[in-house]
Amino acid sequence: MLMPAAAQQAATPQQPLASQLGPSASQHALDIGQFPPYKPARLPDGHPDLNGTWQSMVSADWDLQDHEAQPGPKPEINGVYGAGPAGQSIVEGGEIPYRPEALAKKKKNFETRAMVDVSNDKTWHALGDPEMKCYMPGVPRANYLPYPFRIVQSSGASNPYMLISYEYASATRIIRMNSKDEAPIPAWMGWSRGRWEGDTLVVDVTGFREETWFDRAGDYHSDQLHVVERYTPVSPFHLMYEATIEDPKVFTRPWKIRFPLYRHMEQDFQLLEFKCEPFTEEMLYGRFVKRPAP
Amino acid sequence: MTHRFAATLGIPAMVIAIGSLSLLMSQSPQTARKPATEPQRKSATSPALGSSEAPALKPSSFRTPWGDPDLQGVWNDATSTPLQRPTGVASKDILNDAEAEEFQDQLANNLSRNRRDGGSEVDVNRAYNEHWMDSRRLKVTADHRTSLIVDPPDGKIPPLVPISAERQKEHDERAAALARFNAGMPNTYLDFDLPIRCVVRTDMPPYMPIIYNNDFQIVQSPGYVVIAPEMIHSTRIIPLDGRPHIGKNLHEWLGDSRGHWDGNTLVLETTNFRPDTNIFQEADPATFRLTERFTRVDARTINYEYTVEDPHTWTRPWTVRIPWTRIDPAEQMYEYACYEDNYDVSHFLGGAREREKRGEVAQPIPHLPSVQ
Amino acid sequence: MRLIARKPSAGAVVAAALMLPWICMVAPASAHHAFAAEYDAKKHVILKGTVTKMEWINPHAWIHIDVKKADGNLEEWMIEFGTPNTLLRRGFTRDSLKPGTEITVDGYQAKDSALRANGRDVTLPDGKKLFAGSPVADAPYKDPGK
Repeated sequence: MLMPAAAQQAATPQQPLASQLGPSASQHALDIGQFPPYKPARLPDGHPDLNGTWQSMVSADWDLQDHEAQPGPKPEINGVYGAGPAGQSIVEGGEIPYRPEALAKKKKNFETRAMVDVSNDKTWHALGDPEMKCYMPGVPRANYLPYPFRIVQSSGASNPYMLISYEYASATRIIRMNSKDEAPIPAWMGWSRGRWEGDTLVVDVTGFREETWFDRAGDYHSDQLHVVERYTPVSPFHLMYEATIEDPKVFTRPWKIRFPLYRHMEQDFQLLEFKCEPFTEEMLYGRFVKRPAP
Repeated sequence: MTHRFAATLGIPAMVIAIGSLSLLMSQSPQTARKPATEPQRKSATSPALGSSEAPALKPSSFRTPWGDPDLQGVWNDATSTPLQRPTGVASKDILNDAEAEEFQDQLANNLSRNRRDGGSEVDVNRAYNEHWMDSRRLKVTADHRTSLIVDPPDGKIPPLVPISAERQKEHDERAAALARFNAGMPNTYLDFDLPIRCVVRTDMPPYMPIIYNNDFQIVQSPGYVVIAPEMIHSTRIIPLDGRPHIGKNLHEWLGDSRGHWDGNTLVLETTNFRPDTNIFQEADPATFRLTERFTRVDARTINYEYTVEDPHTWTRPWTVRIPWTRIDPAEQMYEYACYEDNYDVSHFLGGAREREKRGEVAQPIPHLPSVQ
Repeated sequence: MRLIARKPSAGAVVAAALMLPWICMVAPASAHHAFAAEYDAKKHVILKGTVTKMEWINPHAWIHIDVKKADGNLEEWMIEFGTPNTLLRRGFTRDSLKPGTEITVDGYQAKDSALRANGRDVTLPDGKKLFAGSPVADAPYKDPGK
């Protein structure tokens, strides 16, 4: 996340601001994305209560890195429908550290992101952004899709599981608390093991299917993907989300993304159904349909 | 009669316990919802709905740290007990131990994937041997009932009422699509049912056991019960705070559920089913009513019971009871991605077009050979 | 429907009268399609080959095998199996059937004659049946003829 120079230098950024801005300092701190100190509400076992329906507001699903506004597919038919907004990189340092030889595949992904061909099992996944096909988005992408998700957190040792339920494609993750089990087979949403470090929920995710992408720009990974997430409550209405992404086959070093998650505050807000499979059947299987229709 | 009969034969206490629990249960008063400017959040300091007036419970009863009955865990509902009581055992709703073992063995034999009788027309449907199937599916329920239906007493689905011409047309279209599918000559992906299309599978309530992956993860948080069936990776997030259902113009394949505690029993009412969907037993989505009840019976058992009602389909409501068995930590639920790798659809459709190119004309097959 | 011809007892009477396949008794949202829709009962195949790839995926796991034909050519077949989730709960792992393993597959070929079959049985060269056996001791093999 890009921060003003003054804030980057100080160990406690509020100090120089306070001396310069006086009573406006705390408001200015909010304006540049700094949260005042916060002690979260807790469940009976003493851990912060992360239960809630959350959603990000970044446009990272279009592109994790800096991106300008862009038209969607077929703007000559759809106008602004399907267009994407501009957005600033959520990658710490701005750029994803690809291995030079791995960039070619990102480019190819981007060029073929809106194509599909499921006529041959061997190349079933070769073309097309999985999000476009209504495939499960993987981690961390699920957390910065423009759709809400619910964190379901119990309390006590009798149930060592948390759930994250995503509205998009009804994707679900089970987080196994304090587990040492390894992923049995690859999964689209990976294999998540959680633990608490102070007031931060740390989730270690492995066992990914290699076919998920990070965004619509074609950013991708291999089967070696390893993600470590950190969820920290920073206000009654925000979690700060960080993910460290590691994949030695594709990147030269681990890299981090960071953005807030916002609590849905609409009265009686709930996830609704977004089972998008029927929206993509004609795209995927239309070539096999009997024509003309009998 | 049932309970006395069961007690005489020493049938496991579960059957008796279920009857006793229903007597113990009392209506817990519903706390009026406070109008709020932000979503109500149950924290450690605010009491769970009704908990301050819950009946006194045994020390061994299962409770979450915030006082709700605890249904959490990974549960499995597989069984060989049929939904309806087979003809020939009209008055026998419960079998004694010897009868139950015989019944189970015969069902297991009928269901066995390793049988070789019946010729190839039957054998082709017996692919995947037992290891690909739920390990508990060859067992009858512990209470030795001869049907999962407990009401009406004859263990059968009640008589059907005549359906409207419109529903009959939909029924016939589905039957015709199935016949094309059975012949291996579907016209379009819409000739497949929702499970084959990987939209919903066993997660559309009410829950019924099938041949594999009969698993459910339940996680609770203050004010919610969340049920995550294995197929197809969805969650039912059920608020317990008495909020109204979603608006009548919103419809979902899994319906919209609201829950409350009736003593130790979670009671769910589910509405807002999609009108265009083939829901449970081809009932009418507009008038179908579903009530489910979950009761933790002991450390490893939940009693799952549901009542369905639809005056446009059945002459009376009927009730089904299926025990759920806890399987974690030894066994776990795993991701069931479905749509992502559903080669079947392109195999079926592509294969049909290929056969047509070769001049094959397959006759639609309304019913495939009866086999497990 | 197959009647069981043996001395009737309560349990046997019950089971013999079982009219419908189990899958028809459940909600229409059945999660298992009938193989007979896709595979041809008249095309029973026995395939001896070497595993090249194992796809542990849902809704069906697939084994890919290279089958050596009489003329020496290799045919690439894919064999449809069940859901891996159930196998995992029985203690199998993704390494349970590694590439290079020689197996014999007993199944039925797809109706469109593609090199695809459903896997009825898988046998190793030493005769051991993979994924076979019943978890219920003795059942279900009550020979109806006895």
